[in-house]
Amino acid sequence: MTREEVAARVVGVTAQQFAMKTSDIKESDQFTVDLGADSLKSIELVAAYEEAFGLSVKEEEALKVQDVGGAIDFFFRLLQ
Amino acid sequence: MKPYELQDVPTPNLLEDTFPYSLPPLIKFEGKIKETIDGKEVEFDPNEVRTRDIHITDTTFRDGQQARPPYKREHMVTLFEMMSRLGGPKGVIRQSEFFLYTKNDRDTIDACRALNLKYPEITGWIRANKGDFRLVKEMGLKETGMLTSSSDYHIFHKQKQTRKEAMQQYIEVVEAAFEAGVRPRCHLEDITRADLPGFVFPFVQKLERLSEQVPQHMKVKIRLCDTMGFGLSYPNAAEPRSIPKMIWRLRNECGVSADRLEWHGHNDFHKVHINGASSWIYGLNALNGTLFGFGERTGNPPLEGAVIEYVALKGGLNGVNLPVITEMAEYYERVIGTTLASNYPFVGKDFNTTRAGIHAGGLRKFEQIYNIFDTTALLNRPPRVAITDKSGTDGVALWVNDFLGLQGEERLTVMKVARIQRWVMDQYEKEGRMSSITDQEMEEQVKTCLPEYYQAHRKN
Repeated sequence: MTREEVAARVVGVTAQQFAMKTSDIKESDQFTVDLGADSLKSIELVAAYEEAFGLSVKEEEALKVQDVGGAIDFFFRLLQ
Repeated sequence: MKPYELQDVPTPNLLEDTFPYSLPPLIKFEGKIKETIDGKEVEFDPNEVRTRDIHITDTTFRDGQQARPPYKREHMVTLFEMMSRLGGPKGVIRQSEFFLYTKNDRDTIDACRALNLKYPEITGWIRANKGDFRLVKEMGLKETGMLTSSSDYHIFHKQKQTRKEAMQQYIEVVEAAFEAGVRPRCHLEDITRADLPGFVFPFVQKLERLSEQVPQHMKVKIRLCDTMGFGLSYPNAAEPRSIPKMIWRLRNECGVSADRLEWHGHNDFHKVHINGASSWIYGLNALNGTLFGFGERTGNPPLEGAVIEYVALKGGLNGVNLPVITEMAEYYERVIGTTLASNYPFVGKDFNTTRAGIHAGGLRKFEQIYNIFDTTALLNRPPRVAITDKSGTDGVALWVNDFLGLQGEERLTVMKVARIQRWVMDQYEKEGRMSSITDQEMEEQVKTCLPEYYQAHRKN
Protein backbone atom coordinates (compact mmCIF):
# COMPACT_ATOMS: atom_id res chain seq x y z
CA MET A 1 0.00 0.00 0.00
CA THR A 2 1.11 3.52 -0.65
CA ARG A 3 1.26 6.03 2.16
CA GLU A 4 -1.79 7.78 0.66
CA GLU A 5 -3.79 4.55 0.77
CA VAL A 6 -2.74 3.90 4.36
CA ALA A 7 -3.60 7.51 5.25
CA ALA A 8 -7.07 7.21 3.73
CA ARG A 9 -7.80 4.10 5.77
CA VAL A 10 -6.41 5.55 9.02
CA VAL A 11 -8.40 8.75 8.56
CA GLY A 12 -11.55 6.76 7.73
CA VAL A 13 -11.25 4.60 10.83
CA THR A 14 -10.41 7.61 13.00
CA ALA A 15 -13.43 9.54 11.74
CA GLN A 16 -15.69 6.59 12.40
CA GLN A 17 -14.36 6.10 15.91
CA PHE A 18 -14.86 9.75 16.84
CA ALA A 19 -18.09 10.17 14.84
CA MET A 20 -16.55 12.90 12.70
CA LYS A 21 -16.29 13.64 8.99
CA THR A 22 -13.09 12.46 7.32
CA SER A 23 -12.57 16.00 6.03
CA ASP A 24 -12.34 17.21 9.63
CA ILE A 25 -9.45 14.88 10.50
CA LYS A 26 -5.94 16.31 10.07
CA GLU A 27 -2.63 14.44 10.28
CA SER A 28 -1.55 16.83 12.99
CA ASP A 29 -4.53 15.99 15.20
CA GLN A 30 -3.43 14.55 18.51
CA PHE A 31 -5.71 11.77 19.73
CA THR A 32 -6.02 12.96 23.32
CA VAL A 33 -5.65 16.73 23.00
CA ASP A 34 -7.52 17.39 19.73
CA LEU A 35 -9.86 14.42 19.40
CA GLY A 36 -10.58 13.91 23.12
CA ALA A 37 -9.56 10.26 23.38
CA ASP A 38 -9.29 8.77 26.86
CA SER A 39 -7.18 5.69 27.51
CA LEU A 40 -9.93 3.23 26.57
CA LYS A 41 -10.77 5.15 23.40
CA SER A 42 -7.10 5.07 22.40
CA ILE A 43 -7.09 1.30 22.81
CA GLU A 44 -10.34 0.95 20.84
CA LEU A 45 -8.83 3.06 18.10
CA VAL A 46 -5.76 0.82 17.80
CA ALA A 47 -8.09 -2.20 17.81
CA ALA A 48 -10.07 -0.64 14.96
CA TYR A 49 -6.87 0.03 12.99
CA GLU A 50 -5.80 -3.59 13.56
CA GLU A 51 -9.10 -4.77 12.15
CA ALA A 52 -8.96 -2.40 9.18
CA PHE A 53 -5.45 -3.52 8.21
CA GLY A 54 -5.83 -7.15 9.25
CA LEU A 55 -2.82 -6.86 11.57
CA SER A 56 -1.97 -7.50 15.18
CA VAL A 57 0.37 -4.90 16.62
CA LYS A 58 2.52 -4.71 19.73
CA GLU A 59 0.52 -2.71 22.20
CA GLU A 60 3.40 -0.86 23.82
CA GLU A 61 4.59 0.45 20.45
CA ALA A 62 1.11 1.18 19.12
CA LEU A 63 0.00 3.05 22.23
CA LYS A 64 3.01 5.35 22.02
CA VAL A 65 1.62 6.89 18.80
CA GLN A 66 0.24 10.32 19.68
CA ASP A 67 -1.35 11.67 16.47
CA VAL A 68 -3.03 10.74 13.20
CA GLY A 69 0.14 11.31 11.13
CA GLY A 70 2.04 9.07 13.54
CA ALA A 71 -0.56 6.34 13.10
CA ILE A 72 -0.28 6.59 9.32
CA ASP A 73 3.51 6.28 9.49
CA PHE A 74 3.28 3.44 11.98
CA PHE A 75 1.00 1.31 9.80
CA PHE A 76 2.78 2.30 6.60
CA ARG A 77 6.04 1.01 8.10
CA LEU A 78 4.36 -2.21 9.26
CA LEU A 79 2.94 -2.87 5.82
CA GLN A 80 6.24 -2.44 4.00
CA MET B 1 24.36 13.92 57.24
CA LYS B 2 25.70 10.73 55.66
CA PRO B 3 25.93 11.34 51.90
CA TYR B 4 24.13 8.89 49.60
CA GLU B 5 24.67 9.08 45.85
CA LEU B 6 22.32 7.75 43.21
CA GLN B 7 23.58 4.49 41.71
CA ASP B 8 22.12 4.40 38.21
CA VAL B 9 22.34 0.65 37.63
CA PRO B 10 21.86 -0.98 34.20
CA THR B 11 19.75 -3.84 35.58
CA PRO B 12 17.23 -3.79 38.44
CA ASN B 13 18.26 -4.79 41.92
CA LEU B 14 15.32 -6.92 43.05
CA LEU B 15 16.93 -7.77 46.41
CA GLU B 16 16.34 -11.45 45.73
CA ASP B 17 18.38 -12.56 48.73
CA THR B 18 15.49 -11.35 50.83
CA PHE B 19 12.67 -11.61 48.27
CA PRO B 20 13.37 -14.91 46.48
CA TYR B 21 9.77 -15.13 45.18
CA SER B 22 10.05 -18.94 45.22
CA LEU B 23 9.64 -18.63 49.02
CA PRO B 24 7.91 -16.13 51.28
CA PRO B 25 10.18 -13.11 51.89
CA LEU B 26 12.95 -14.15 54.25
CA ILE B 27 13.29 -12.63 57.71
CA LYS B 28 16.89 -11.73 58.44
CA PHE B 29 18.56 -10.17 61.44
CA GLU B 30 21.74 -8.15 61.54
CA GLY B 31 22.57 -8.21 65.22
CA LYS B 32 21.47 -9.01 68.71
CA ILE B 33 18.41 -7.57 70.43
CA LYS B 34 19.11 -5.78 73.67
CA GLU B 35 16.71 -5.69 76.60
CA THR B 36 17.06 -4.11 80.02
CA ILE B 37 16.16 -6.37 82.93
CA ASP B 38 16.66 -5.25 86.54
CA GLY B 39 18.75 -2.35 85.24
CA LYS B 40 21.16 -4.63 83.35
CA GLU B 41 21.41 -5.17 79.63
CA VAL B 42 20.71 -8.69 78.40
CA GLU B 43 20.96 -9.89 74.82
CA PHE B 44 18.85 -12.12 72.63
CA ASP B 45 20.33 -13.59 69.47
CA PRO B 46 17.45 -13.69 66.97
CA ASN B 47 19.51 -15.78 64.53
CA GLU B 48 19.15 -18.67 67.00
CA VAL B 49 15.77 -19.44 65.45
CA ARG B 50 17.48 -20.81 62.38
CA THR B 51 19.03 -23.62 64.40
CA ARG B 52 16.66 -23.97 67.37
CA ASP B 53 13.84 -26.52 67.04
CA ILE B 54 11.06 -23.97 66.78
CA HIS B 55 7.74 -25.53 65.88
CA ILE B 56 3.99 -25.06 65.95
CA THR B 57 1.42 -26.65 68.20
CA ASP B 58 -2.26 -26.67 67.41
CA THR B 59 -5.35 -25.93 69.44
CA THR B 60 -7.91 -25.76 66.63
CA PHE B 61 -10.04 -28.40 68.28
CA ARG B 62 -9.77 -26.95 71.81
CA ASP B 63 -9.48 -23.16 71.97
CA GLY B 64 -10.40 -22.90 68.30
CA GLN B 65 -13.61 -24.73 68.92
CA GLN B 66 -14.60 -22.63 71.94
CA ALA B 67 -15.40 -19.73 69.64
CA ARG B 68 -17.56 -21.39 67.02
CA PRO B 69 -20.15 -24.08 66.49
CA PRO B 70 -18.67 -27.52 67.20
CA TYR B 71 -16.94 -29.33 64.37
CA LYS B 72 -18.34 -32.68 63.34
CA ARG B 73 -16.08 -35.62 63.94
CA GLU B 74 -15.38 -36.07 60.23
CA HIS B 75 -14.38 -32.40 59.99
CA MET B 76 -11.82 -32.80 62.75
CA VAL B 77 -10.41 -36.01 61.34
CA THR B 78 -10.08 -34.48 57.87
CA LEU B 79 -8.47 -31.30 59.20
CA PHE B 80 -6.15 -33.33 61.41
CA GLU B 81 -4.97 -35.31 58.39
CA MET B 82 -4.48 -32.08 56.41
CA MET B 83 -2.59 -30.57 59.32
CA SER B 84 -0.25 -33.52 59.27
CA ARG B 85 0.47 -33.01 55.57
CA LEU B 86 0.87 -29.25 56.05
CA GLY B 87 3.42 -29.66 58.83
CA GLY B 88 5.31 -32.33 56.93
CA PRO B 89 7.37 -35.31 58.05
CA LYS B 90 9.62 -33.30 60.37
CA GLY B 91 6.71 -32.28 62.54
CA VAL B 92 6.76 -28.54 62.03
CA ILE B 93 3.20 -28.85 63.34
CA ARG B 94 4.22 -30.95 66.29
CA GLN B 95 1.16 -31.44 68.46
CA SER B 96 -2.60 -30.94 68.48
CA GLU B 97 -4.68 -30.79 71.64
CA PHE B 98 -8.17 -32.13 72.12
CA PHE B 99 -10.94 -31.93 74.69
CA LEU B 100 -11.59 -35.20 76.48
CA TYR B 101 -14.91 -34.56 78.16
CA THR B 102 -17.59 -35.89 75.80
CA LYS B 103 -17.93 -39.20 74.01
CA ASN B 104 -17.63 -37.34 70.73
CA ASP B 105 -14.32 -35.80 71.93
CA ARG B 106 -12.95 -39.22 72.73
CA ASP B 107 -14.27 -40.89 69.58
CA THR B 108 -12.62 -38.14 67.54
CA ILE B 109 -9.27 -38.79 69.18
CA ASP B 110 -9.64 -42.49 68.39
CA ALA B 111 -10.48 -41.71 64.76
CA CYS B 112 -7.45 -39.39 64.44
CA ARG B 113 -5.19 -41.95 66.05
CA ALA B 114 -6.46 -44.57 63.62
CA LEU B 115 -4.84 -42.52 60.84
CA ASN B 116 -1.52 -43.61 62.31
CA LEU B 117 0.22 -40.31 61.64
CA LYS B 118 3.51 -39.43 63.31
CA TYR B 119 2.62 -35.74 63.56
CA PRO B 120 0.83 -33.92 65.03
CA GLU B 121 1.04 -35.81 68.31
CA ILE B 122 -2.30 -35.87 70.11
CA THR B 123 -2.42 -34.27 73.55
CA GLY B 124 -5.31 -33.56 75.91
CA TRP B 125 -6.66 -30.60 77.81
CA ILE B 126 -8.17 -30.80 81.27
CA ARG B 127 -8.97 -28.58 84.20
CA ALA B 128 -6.52 -28.69 87.11
CA ASN B 129 -8.57 -31.41 88.74
CA LYS B 130 -7.12 -34.73 89.80
CA GLY B 131 -10.32 -36.52 88.83
CA ASP B 132 -9.86 -35.46 85.22
CA PHE B 133 -6.76 -37.65 84.98
CA ARG B 134 -8.99 -40.66 84.68
CA LEU B 135 -9.93 -39.36 81.22
CA VAL B 136 -6.30 -38.81 80.19
CA LYS B 137 -5.28 -42.26 81.35
CA GLU B 138 -8.25 -43.92 79.70
CA MET B 139 -7.33 -42.33 76.41
CA GLY B 140 -3.72 -43.41 76.79
CA LEU B 141 -2.35 -39.92 76.10
CA LYS B 142 1.27 -39.16 76.89
CA GLU B 143 0.76 -35.45 77.54
CA THR B 144 -2.01 -33.19 78.67
CA GLY B 145 -2.47 -29.50 79.14
CA MET B 146 -4.03 -28.40 82.40
CA LEU B 147 -5.50 -25.11 83.42
CA THR B 148 -3.27 -23.41 86.00
CA SER B 149 -4.44 -19.82 86.09
CA SER B 150 -1.78 -17.43 87.23
CA SER B 151 -3.22 -13.95 87.72
CA ASP B 152 -5.02 -12.73 90.83
CA TYR B 153 -7.96 -11.90 88.56
CA HIS B 154 -8.44 -15.64 88.15
CA ILE B 155 -7.14 -16.93 91.47
CA PHE B 156 -9.06 -14.51 93.70
CA HIS B 157 -12.10 -13.61 91.62
CA LYS B 158 -12.78 -16.78 89.63
CA GLN B 159 -11.39 -19.57 91.75
CA LYS B 160 -12.03 -17.82 95.09
CA GLN B 161 -8.69 -19.05 96.37
CA THR B 162 -5.55 -17.63 97.89
CA ARG B 163 -2.34 -17.90 95.92
CA LYS B 164 -1.14 -20.62 98.29
CA GLU B 165 -4.32 -22.65 97.82
CA ALA B 166 -4.15 -22.31 94.05
CA MET B 167 -0.51 -23.31 93.90
CA GLN B 168 -1.10 -26.28 96.18
CA GLN B 169 -3.95 -27.47 93.98
CA TYR B 170 -1.87 -27.12 90.81
CA ILE B 171 1.08 -28.96 92.34
CA GLU B 172 -1.16 -31.83 93.42
CA VAL B 173 -2.44 -32.22 89.88
CA VAL B 174 1.08 -32.13 88.44
CA GLU B 175 2.14 -34.81 90.92
CA ALA B 176 -0.91 -36.86 89.92
CA ALA B 177 0.16 -36.54 86.31
CA PHE B 178 3.64 -37.80 87.11
CA GLU B 179 2.13 -40.71 89.01
CA ALA B 180 -0.08 -41.53 86.02
CA GLY B 181 2.89 -41.39 83.67
CA VAL B 182 1.41 -38.42 81.82
CA ARG B 183 3.53 -35.41 80.99
CA PRO B 184 1.90 -32.28 82.43
CA ARG B 185 1.75 -29.05 80.47
CA CYS B 186 0.78 -26.23 82.77
CA HIS B 187 -1.26 -23.55 81.04
CA LEU B 188 -0.43 -20.37 82.96
CA GLU B 189 -3.62 -18.53 82.13
CA ASP B 190 -3.58 -14.74 82.17
CA ILE B 191 0.18 -14.62 82.67
CA THR B 192 0.53 -11.18 81.07
CA ARG B 193 -1.65 -9.79 83.86
CA ALA B 194 -0.12 -11.81 86.68
CA ASP B 195 2.21 -10.97 89.56
CA LEU B 196 5.24 -12.66 88.05
CA PRO B 197 7.71 -12.51 90.99
CA GLY B 198 4.90 -12.98 93.55
CA PHE B 199 3.24 -16.05 92.04
CA VAL B 200 4.36 -17.19 88.58
CA PHE B 201 8.10 -17.53 89.15
CA PRO B 202 7.79 -19.27 92.55
CA PHE B 203 5.27 -21.65 91.00
CA VAL B 204 7.46 -22.39 87.99
CA GLN B 205 10.52 -22.87 90.20
CA LYS B 206 8.53 -25.36 92.25
CA LEU B 207 7.56 -27.17 89.04
CA GLU B 208 11.20 -27.29 88.01
CA ARG B 209 12.15 -28.85 91.34
CA LEU B 210 9.45 -31.48 90.82
CA SER B 211 10.70 -32.06 87.28
CA GLU B 212 14.15 -32.90 88.59
CA GLN B 213 12.64 -36.16 89.84
CA VAL B 214 11.33 -37.34 86.47
CA PRO B 215 12.98 -38.29 83.17
CA GLN B 216 13.50 -35.66 80.47
CA HIS B 217 10.44 -36.66 78.44
CA MET B 218 8.23 -36.17 81.50
CA LYS B 219 9.46 -32.77 82.66
CA VAL B 220 6.75 -30.15 83.00
CA LYS B 221 6.05 -27.97 80.00
CA ILE B 222 4.93 -24.38 80.53
CA ARG B 223 2.41 -22.72 78.25
CA LEU B 224 2.41 -18.94 78.52
CA CYS B 225 -1.22 -18.01 78.00
CA ASP B 226 -1.71 -14.39 77.00
CA THR B 227 -5.38 -14.87 77.71
CA MET B 228 -6.50 -11.31 77.04
CA GLY B 229 -3.91 -10.39 74.41
CA PHE B 230 -2.05 -7.99 76.71
CA GLY B 231 1.44 -9.24 75.77
CA LEU B 232 3.90 -6.81 74.19
CA SER B 233 6.82 -7.74 71.96
CA TYR B 234 8.44 -4.27 72.08
CA PRO B 235 11.93 -4.16 73.56
CA ASN B 236 11.97 -2.68 77.05
CA ALA B 237 8.22 -2.84 77.60
CA ALA B 238 7.41 -3.12 81.28
CA GLU B 239 6.49 -6.35 83.06
CA PRO B 240 4.23 -8.26 83.22
CA ARG B 241 3.28 -7.43 79.63
CA SER B 242 6.81 -7.78 78.25
CA ILE B 243 7.23 -11.01 76.29
CA PRO B 244 11.05 -10.87 76.11
CA LYS B 245 11.43 -10.25 79.84
CA MET B 246 9.01 -13.04 80.69
CA ILE B 247 10.79 -15.59 78.52
CA TRP B 248 14.23 -14.48 79.67
CA ARG B 249 13.33 -14.81 83.34
CA LEU B 250 11.67 -18.20 82.85
CA ARG B 251 14.73 -19.51 81.07
CA ASN B 252 17.47 -17.84 83.08
CA GLU B 253 15.98 -17.43 86.55
CA CYS B 254 13.59 -20.39 86.64
CA GLY B 255 15.62 -22.82 84.53
CA VAL B 256 12.96 -23.78 81.99
CA SER B 257 14.52 -24.82 78.68
CA ALA B 258 13.27 -23.49 75.34
CA ASP B 259 11.83 -26.86 74.35
CA ARG B 260 9.49 -26.77 77.34
CA LEU B 261 8.13 -23.28 76.78
CA GLU B 262 5.15 -22.48 74.59
CA TRP B 263 3.33 -19.26 73.66
CA HIS B 264 -0.46 -19.09 73.40
CA GLY B 265 -1.84 -15.70 72.39
CA HIS B 266 -5.11 -13.92 71.74
CA ASN B 267 -5.84 -11.17 69.27
CA ASP B 268 -7.66 -8.58 71.37
CA PHE B 269 -5.17 -5.88 70.39
CA HIS B 270 -4.27 -7.08 66.88
CA LYS B 271 -0.96 -8.40 68.17
CA VAL B 272 -1.61 -12.10 68.05
CA HIS B 273 0.64 -13.12 65.19
CA ILE B 274 3.58 -10.86 65.88
CA ASN B 275 3.54 -11.70 69.59
CA GLY B 276 3.67 -15.38 68.75
CA ALA B 277 6.45 -14.94 66.21
CA SER B 278 8.35 -12.71 68.65
CA SER B 279 8.15 -15.37 71.33
CA TRP B 280 10.09 -17.65 68.97
CA ILE B 281 12.68 -14.92 68.53
CA TYR B 282 12.95 -14.30 72.27
CA GLY B 283 13.73 -17.89 73.05
CA LEU B 284 10.89 -20.38 73.26
CA ASN B 285 10.28 -23.20 70.84
CA ALA B 286 6.53 -23.84 70.61
CA LEU B 287 4.00 -21.45 69.14
CA ASN B 288 0.42 -22.50 69.75
CA GLY B 289 -2.16 -21.54 67.13
CA THR B 290 -5.42 -22.43 65.45
CA LEU B 291 -6.42 -22.79 61.83
CA PHE B 292 -7.36 -19.37 60.46
CA GLY B 293 -7.04 -17.93 63.95
CA PHE B 294 -10.42 -19.12 65.19
CA GLY B 295 -10.42 -18.94 68.98
CA GLU B 296 -11.99 -17.37 72.02
CA ARG B 297 -13.25 -13.83 71.27
CA THR B 298 -10.75 -12.33 68.81
CA GLY B 299 -8.94 -15.57 68.22
CA ASN B 300 -5.53 -17.17 68.50
CA PRO B 301 -2.35 -17.02 66.41
CA PRO B 302 -3.36 -18.22 62.94
CA LEU B 303 -1.67 -21.55 62.42
CA GLU B 304 -1.20 -21.05 58.69
CA GLY B 305 0.38 -17.66 59.36
CA ALA B 306 2.77 -19.31 61.79
CA VAL B 307 3.74 -21.83 59.12
CA ILE B 308 4.56 -19.03 56.65
CA GLU B 309 6.52 -17.23 59.39
CA TYR B 310 8.39 -20.45 60.13
CA VAL B 311 9.48 -20.74 56.50
CA ALA B 312 10.50 -17.08 56.41
CA LEU B 313 12.57 -17.41 59.60
CA LYS B 314 14.15 -20.75 58.70
CA GLY B 315 14.85 -19.73 55.10
CA GLY B 316 13.36 -22.92 53.69
CA LEU B 317 10.36 -25.20 53.69
CA ASN B 318 11.83 -27.95 55.89
CA GLY B 319 9.16 -30.38 54.69
CA VAL B 320 6.24 -27.99 55.02
CA ASN B 321 3.58 -28.50 52.33
CA LEU B 322 2.13 -25.02 51.83
CA PRO B 323 -0.56 -25.78 49.19
CA VAL B 324 -2.42 -27.69 51.91
CA ILE B 325 -3.28 -24.28 53.39
CA THR B 326 -5.46 -23.64 50.33
CA GLU B 327 -6.98 -27.11 50.59
CA MET B 328 -7.92 -26.41 54.20
CA ALA B 329 -9.49 -23.05 53.39
CA GLU B 330 -11.54 -24.64 50.61
CA TYR B 331 -12.64 -27.37 53.02
CA TYR B 332 -13.78 -24.78 55.57
CA GLU B 333 -15.82 -22.96 52.98
CA ARG B 334 -17.15 -25.86 50.95
CA VAL B 335 -17.73 -28.56 53.57
CA ILE B 336 -17.80 -26.96 57.01
CA GLY B 337 -19.64 -23.91 55.71
CA THR B 338 -17.44 -21.28 57.35
CA THR B 339 -16.80 -18.21 55.25
CA LEU B 340 -13.33 -16.75 55.60
CA ALA B 341 -12.97 -12.98 55.21
CA SER B 342 -12.15 -12.19 51.60
CA ASN B 343 -9.11 -10.12 52.57
CA TYR B 344 -7.76 -12.66 55.06
CA PRO B 345 -4.02 -13.21 54.39
CA PHE B 346 -2.95 -16.28 52.40
CA VAL B 347 -6.45 -17.80 52.09
CA GLY B 348 -9.14 -15.13 51.66
CA LYS B 349 -10.80 -15.03 48.25
CA ASP B 350 -9.12 -11.73 47.47
CA PHE B 351 -5.83 -12.02 49.36
CA ASN B 352 -3.87 -11.76 46.11
CA THR B 353 -6.53 -10.03 44.03
CA THR B 354 -5.81 -6.54 42.81
CA ARG B 355 -8.52 -4.05 41.89
CA ALA B 356 -6.76 -0.87 40.84
CA GLY B 357 -6.03 -0.60 37.14
CA ILE B 358 -2.54 0.68 37.76
CA HIS B 359 -1.79 -2.36 39.93
CA ALA B 360 -3.34 -4.68 37.34
CA GLY B 361 -1.07 -3.09 34.74
CA GLY B 362 1.95 -3.82 36.92
CA LEU B 363 0.79 -7.35 37.61
CA ARG B 364 0.33 -7.98 33.89
CA LYS B 365 3.78 -6.68 33.04
CA PHE B 366 5.69 -8.41 35.86
CA GLU B 367 3.77 -10.51 38.35
CA GLN B 368 6.21 -9.92 41.19
CA ILE B 369 5.38 -6.22 41.31
CA TYR B 370 2.07 -6.87 43.04
CA ASN B 371 2.26 -10.46 44.28
CA ILE B 372 3.81 -11.17 47.68
CA PHE B 373 5.53 -14.41 46.59
CA ASP B 374 4.90 -17.15 44.04
CA THR B 375 1.40 -17.84 45.30
CA THR B 376 0.72 -20.09 42.31
CA ALA B 377 3.52 -22.50 43.19
CA LEU B 378 3.39 -22.20 46.98
CA LEU B 379 -0.35 -21.93 47.60
CA ASN B 380 -1.88 -23.00 44.31
CA ARG B 381 -3.41 -19.51 44.14
CA PRO B 382 -2.45 -17.47 41.04
CA PRO B 383 -2.73 -13.70 41.51
CA ARG B 384 -6.05 -12.38 40.27
CA VAL B 385 -7.65 -9.14 39.34
CA ALA B 386 -11.17 -8.07 40.30
CA ILE B 387 -13.02 -6.22 37.60
CA THR B 388 -14.58 -2.87 38.46
CA ASP B 389 -14.55 0.59 36.89
CA LYS B 390 -11.10 1.03 38.49
CA SER B 391 -9.42 -2.10 37.13
CA GLY B 392 -8.83 -0.70 33.65
CA THR B 393 -8.19 -2.48 30.37
CA ASP B 394 -5.02 -3.95 31.86
CA GLY B 395 -7.16 -5.59 34.51
CA VAL B 396 -9.55 -7.01 31.94
CA ALA B 397 -6.65 -8.30 29.84
CA LEU B 398 -5.14 -10.00 32.88
CA TRP B 399 -8.48 -11.55 33.85
CA VAL B 400 -9.20 -12.81 30.33
CA ASN B 401 -5.71 -14.22 29.78
CA ASP B 402 -5.77 -16.03 33.11
CA PHE B 403 -9.29 -17.29 32.46
CA LEU B 404 -8.27 -18.65 29.06
CA GLY B 405 -4.98 -19.97 30.41
CA LEU B 406 -2.95 -18.13 27.79
CA GLN B 407 0.80 -17.88 28.28
CA GLY B 408 3.67 -15.87 26.79
CA GLU B 409 3.22 -14.66 23.24
CA GLU B 410 -0.29 -16.06 22.96
CA ARG B 411 -1.60 -13.76 25.70
CA LEU B 412 -4.11 -11.27 24.36
CA THR B 413 -3.27 -7.58 24.16
CA VAL B 414 -5.43 -4.81 25.59
CA MET B 415 -6.73 -4.16 22.07
CA LYS B 416 -8.23 -7.63 21.89
CA VAL B 417 -10.21 -7.07 25.09
CA ALA B 418 -11.24 -3.45 24.42
CA ARG B 419 -14.85 -4.43 23.70
CA ILE B 420 -15.12 -6.16 27.04
CA GLN B 421 -13.65 -3.16 28.83
CA ARG B 422 -16.18 -0.89 27.06
CA TRP B 423 -18.97 -3.13 28.36
CA VAL B 424 -17.49 -2.94 31.86
CA MET B 425 -17.31 0.86 31.78
CA ASP B 426 -20.86 1.12 30.42
CA GLN B 427 -22.04 -0.91 33.39
CA TYR B 428 -20.83 1.82 35.74
CA GLU B 429 -21.20 4.95 33.65
CA LYS B 430 -24.50 4.18 31.95
CA GLU B 431 -26.14 1.61 34.21
CA GLY B 432 -25.07 3.13 37.53
CA ARG B 433 -23.69 -0.15 38.80
CA MET B 434 -22.12 -0.21 42.28
CA SER B 435 -20.88 -3.80 42.59
CA SER B 436 -17.88 -5.65 41.09
CA ILE B 437 -18.30 -7.55 37.86
CA THR B 438 -18.68 -11.23 38.67
CA ASP B 439 -16.60 -14.00 37.17
CA GLN B 440 -19.75 -15.38 35.54
CA GLU B 441 -20.45 -12.07 33.82
CA MET B 442 -16.87 -11.86 32.61
CA GLU B 443 -17.11 -15.36 31.20
CA GLU B 444 -20.26 -14.36 29.31
CA GLN B 445 -18.39 -11.39 27.85
CA VAL B 446 -15.51 -13.60 26.74
CA LYS B 447 -18.03 -15.90 25.06
CA THR B 448 -19.65 -12.95 23.28
CA CYS B 449 -16.66 -10.81 22.37
CA LEU B 450 -13.97 -13.45 21.89
CA PRO B 451 -15.89 -16.55 20.76
CA GLU B 452 -12.98 -18.09 18.87
CA TYR B 453 -10.72 -17.86 21.92
CA TYR B 454 -13.46 -19.11 24.21
CA GLN B 455 -14.02 -22.18 22.06
CA ALA B 456 -10.32 -22.91 21.74
CA HIS B 457 -9.13 -22.24 25.28
CA ARG B 458 -12.03 -22.06 27.71
CA LYS B 459 -11.48 -23.79 31.01
CA ASN B 460 -13.80 -26.62 31.88
